[in-house]
Amino acid sequence: MNVTGVMDSVLTFQDMILKIIGVVLILFIAIAIGKGISIYMQRSLKDKIDSEHMNIMQKVAYYGVIVLAIVVFIFPILNIEPSGLLVAGGVVGIVIGFASQSIVGNFISGLFLMTERPVKIGDQVNINNHAGYVEDINMISTIIRTYDGLYMRIPNETVFTTDITNYVANVVRRFDYVVGIRYEDDADQAIEIIQEILDKEPFALKDPPAGIFVDNLGDNSVNILVRIWAPITEWYELKTRLLWVIKKTLGENGIEIPFPQRTVWFASELQTERIPQIGSNENEINETF
Amino acid sequence: MFNKYTPPFTIEKEDITISVEKENGNLVYKRVLNGDDTVEKILLHNGCEFLINPIEPVNIPKALSSFLLIEFQRPVMIAPYEKQTVHLKFPVEIGIFVSRKRGEHELIDILTLAPSKFTLYGDPNRGVICKYWESEVHSSYPHPDILREGDLELEIINDTNNWMELTRAVFNAYGMKIYYGSDRISMRAQMKIINKSLAETEFQTYALSPGFHRSVELYTSRKILLNSTKSIMEFGL
Repeated sequence: MNVTGVMDSVLTFQDMILKIIGVVLILFIAIAIGKGISIYMQRSLKDKIDSEHMNIMQKVAYYGVIVLAIVVFIFPILNIEPSGLLVAGGVVGIVIGFASQSIVGNFISGLFLMTERPVKIGDQVNINNHAGYVEDINMISTIIRTYDGLYMRIPNETVFTTDITNYVANVVRRFDYVVGIRYEDDADQAIEIIQEILDKEPFALKDPPAGIFVDNLGDNSVNILVRIWAPITEWYELKTRLLWVIKKTLGENGIEIPFPQRTVWFASELQTERIPQIGSNENEINETF
Repeated sequence: MFNKYTPPFTIEKEDITISVEKENGNLVYKRVLNGDDTVEKILLHNGCEFLINPIEPVNIPKALSSFLLIEFQRPVMIAPYEKQTVHLKFPVEIGIFVSRKRGEHELIDILTLAPSKFTLYGDPNRGVICKYWESEVHSSYPHPDILREGDLELEIINDTNNWMELTRAVFNAYGMKIYYGSDRISMRAQMKIINKSLAETEFQTYALSPGFHRSVELYTSRKILLNSTKSIMEFGL
């Protein structure tokens, strides 16, 4: 190898090193700018845009800056023609599509989820029998924080193809109580008392009105069904609090929740007066029986 | 009750006791409502002033919505192309603000003597949660108890060629302009009926006069850019 060849190799190596440093530097700056824009958006738009839209906008801005930096600055440095990349990308896409169907399926499902938006970040949902809060919706998977605090990653394909119950999609929801009272109690009075409690309760909605009625005559009690509508954000707290208030107030008004009881009729009269008190003379008991 | 105060001070009105006292160079704010609902805060600043004024009545017990729905005790009928002014009552919520003498007001407490209730306006899917209040429709100033209720002067405009029956009015707290004096709390609004199931409500200003101030409001921040100050009643009148 002559001197010129060695010099060329050194220059090529230096050039390559410089290109790598340049690419890393540009990527680093792009990531920093993307992060900066994302943080700025969060600070300035926090009060104006809901968290779901904010999250999407932040991701678009962040990845947009990086993609822009790659296409505008890094491709020319690496002498990559974007048009050639598109052709290559098409072929590679087909290969990857076949090779990794599940990933592509999850990705496509993610796109549909973002378009259809059956769930949003922060919603309380039940997906495939996993209930909890939606923490994040990524391109490939959806992250759930279950009610007992577990992290759960569900592939988007599963989310898209399974039944989803969104507990907070509507602004209000209803919950029911069954309040059993004794047969000798006045059901009309009980209904009136329950209605008064609901009238005073701010989160028991005025409209739709609560339904309170005798639903059935049970074995041991007259069963009053109480149907209450509440704001979606308050229903659980209300549900856990109100039943005991109803029970206490009914009790204060002499209306009791009965214990299960059964009246037994004997064919022949019981000779109960002949049974001595337990703990009295043992000989007497033996004589009696 | 509704005024500016320099600490230390104590106010006692019906079931409300508000006091601000100096303690070790700081201020201690204490409020007792109905004898048992107590709030106590330490303010790490000595040179504050306090302002007590009515605020938008959609915050207690929780600011679930910016909408206030006033249901009329008796429905109102209005003739075609008629313009009429009526008076309603609305619940009063009292805001206690602290300020550092630069016109900046920071809310530190909210209380009310009026009962609270929420309702749904519209259907469960697309409707909105509203703070609920029921009022008789008065033809003149109703002289409410200002610790509990204020006066809402409502101009109803029927822009249709039919008689219209109104049972309620929905207002947006964004844009509410509340005015208060020593014996009066008032708002002025307009309700334009567009068709049988659609109306629009919007608040209007009063001409200020000595002793009749405009309240410091909570729903007037930059959020107003994204939240319309009008309320569209699209789920029935």
